[in-house]
Amino acid sequence: MTEALINDAIISIDKVVKRYNGFTAVDEISFNIKKGEIFGLLGPNGAGKSTLISILCCLFTQDSGKITIDGFDNIKDSIRIKNVIGVVPQEISLYPTLSARENLAFYGKIYGLSKKALHSRIEILLDMAGLTERADDMIQGFSGGMKRRINIAAALLHDPKILFMDEPTTGVDPQSRKRIYDTIVDLNKQGMSVLFTTHQMEDAQKLCHRIGIVDKGQLIALDTLTGLLELTGESDLIHVEAKDIPPNAVESIRKIETVQQVSIDEDSMTVQLLKGRELLVNIIDILISEGAKVEFINIKEPDLETLFLHLTGTKLRG
Amino acid sequence: MKFHIIAAKDMKILIRDHNALILMFILPMLLISVAGLALGGTFEDNIRIDVLVVDLDNRDLSKEFVQFLEDIDILDVDMESNEFAARDRVKNKEYGRLVIVPPGFTESIMTGQDTELLIISDPSEDSQNTVLEKIIEGYANRMSTYVVTIKTVTTYGVPTYDQEKVFDIIKVVDRFIASPPVAVVTQSSTTDTKDFSPFIQYVPGFAVMFLLLTCVEAGSVSLLKEQESGTLRRLVTAPISRSEIIGGKIASIFIRGFIQLSVLLLFGQVVFDLNLGSSIAAIIILISAVTLAGTGFGMLVAVLVKTKDQASSLSSMLVLTMSAMGGSWWPLFIEPQFMQDIAHFTITAWAMDGFYDLLIFDTGVSGIMKEVGVLLLMSMIFFWIATTRFKFE
Repeated sequence: MTEALINDAIISIDKVVKRYNGFTAVDEISFNIKKGEIFGLLGPNGAGKSTLISILCCLFTQDSGKITIDGFDNIKDSIRIKNVIGVVPQEISLYPTLSARENLAFYGKIYGLSKKALHSRIEILLDMAGLTERADDMIQGFSGGMKRRINIAAALLHDPKILFMDEPTTGVDPQSRKRIYDTIVDLNKQGMSVLFTTHQMEDAQKLCHRIGIVDKGQLIALDTLTGLLELTGESDLIHVEAKDIPPNAVESIRKIETVQQVSIDEDSMTVQLLKGRELLVNIIDILISEGAKVEFINIKEPDLETLFLHLTGTKLRG
Repeated sequence: MKFHIIAAKDMKILIRDHNALILMFILPMLLISVAGLALGGTFEDNIRIDVLVVDLDNRDLSKEFVQFLEDIDILDVDMESNEFAARDRVKNKEYGRLVIVPPGFTESIMTGQDTELLIISDPSEDSQNTVLEKIIEGYANRMSTYVVTIKTVTTYGVPTYDQEKVFDIIKVVDRFIASPPVAVVTQSSTTDTKDFSPFIQYVPGFAVMFLLLTCVEAGSVSLLKEQESGTLRRLVTAPISRSEIIGGKIASIFIRGFIQLSVLLLFGQVVFDLNLGSSIAAIIILISAVTLAGTGFGMLVAVLVKTKDQASSLSSMLVLTMSAMGGSWWPLFIEPQFMQDIAHFTITAWAMDGFYDLLIFDTGVSGIMKEVGVLLLMSMIFFWIATTRFKFE
């Protein structure tokens, strides 16, 4: 995508707040998404990503703050917004006993497409999904990846300006994942702005021009991938899987001068630190001497997971 | 408006759902056949209405009236000559109902005078009383036609003492009544009762029960399925209003319920010679009202539960209880009065009352207005609660 395409904001989000029963799911989030941009919202489950994307899709409204999409206010002009956005929900929102073609025809009619336009769009999208041969088969006979592709196609019938995708690669095999990536890139090349939520780092790293990191309802970082990774400095990430990690060992590791964060799960520990390769032996020594049964060790270069741990003190997954 | 797109999609899904079609049509047909054929005799024996008659007139028309009552299978008619003794026998609960034909009954009718048939009944047997009242009302309507006719012709100069002439006129009226020239007049005048065939009970009884199951399945289970699968979320994010989405759902449930109820009643008519009454308009209005109330009920269940599994179990419990209480499995009038009163909080009881009116008494549209009114009121209340409380997210 050329820089020329990325210019004005097509989505503007200003101090948006959404609460449920006293719990603040979205807490004063503000940012813009530029026209022609692929924007990823990254964060763990429950961070507030899906709530924010649901508000942007006009599924419900925010308690306070202002949202403008393609120049329309999301509260006053929701029907106009719905005509310029396409939504790919996290679930396979298709009717299993209808064929791929019938599902697409149903959603196309809901978007008010004429018979001719509908026929033409369905053929284009079936081809894009690589499912022209299976067009008249019922969805219930499709693999997970095939269903995902039709799920995306159903959001593109009316050729939207903006595509919202909620966890589009959840539960798909590597081949289908690659196909979905290619589809997103192709759509973007045609000028479509894309906002997707994910808790998969791979999605964000491979696709996004910019990434926003959300945790506990707040936007804690927003930049290009390169910009974000610079925040971690020269940090490495050591991941240890071990049984019976004693608290003393964790305390001793925390006391190492260059250690920045230590995160503990049931049978694993993740340590973010400078000069990880030099200090790896020290960490293993501490664990073994304190009685931990080390089973697996991995050292990683800085990535979004490193960044997330750096920013929040917790791992991205889980 | 796009609600028809949703309704058409739902119908397409239904046509491919063989299990749903079996539940809608084949299973109720089997149950109607088995219950009607196997339990019919026992059932008929239970439906008896005792009535004591005092004929203080004892002339042609009063004798004809008594014969009319005796010809009705479900009535056990006994005669008593003394009015005071008869009143005592009803007071002592020896009989549930007493009908008194006043002296001069025949004379009054033949001379175009107002007269009355008096019914004294035990209020604890409300349903049997209602059945008798409807039977006698049918007869009285015919007599009223005679009186009105005679009043009219005497106004134009035919003397009432000319009994031969009056009798001729009545014969002419009778002939017209037998082949009604004007629907509104003749429907009430020809009100007639049918034998209480077991299929009068079981065809509408099981049809209404399975209609309610269908409406709950289509209304709550399928709506919650759409909620859980995300298709509802996708619809809400499309340029279609929420009222159009709900309207589409209501339309699809109503269409499938209407077809189901109509097919099951026609099955009763074709296979078991069930008489659906002389008014097609009346039966269509009643089917529509029952289906609309069932549709509202299905939508209501959707807002009372959170998952489709909860909807399935709650709906089975509610529909089976309503069917037992409301008269799907046995006639309401064999239940104690307090159960009959409670039953009238259900769709089933009002639906069955309406079907009895048409299938037994052939009352036409005017006879089912009360039942239709209550069913429409129920549906409005259900729709109001369902649409204001339904969560699209």
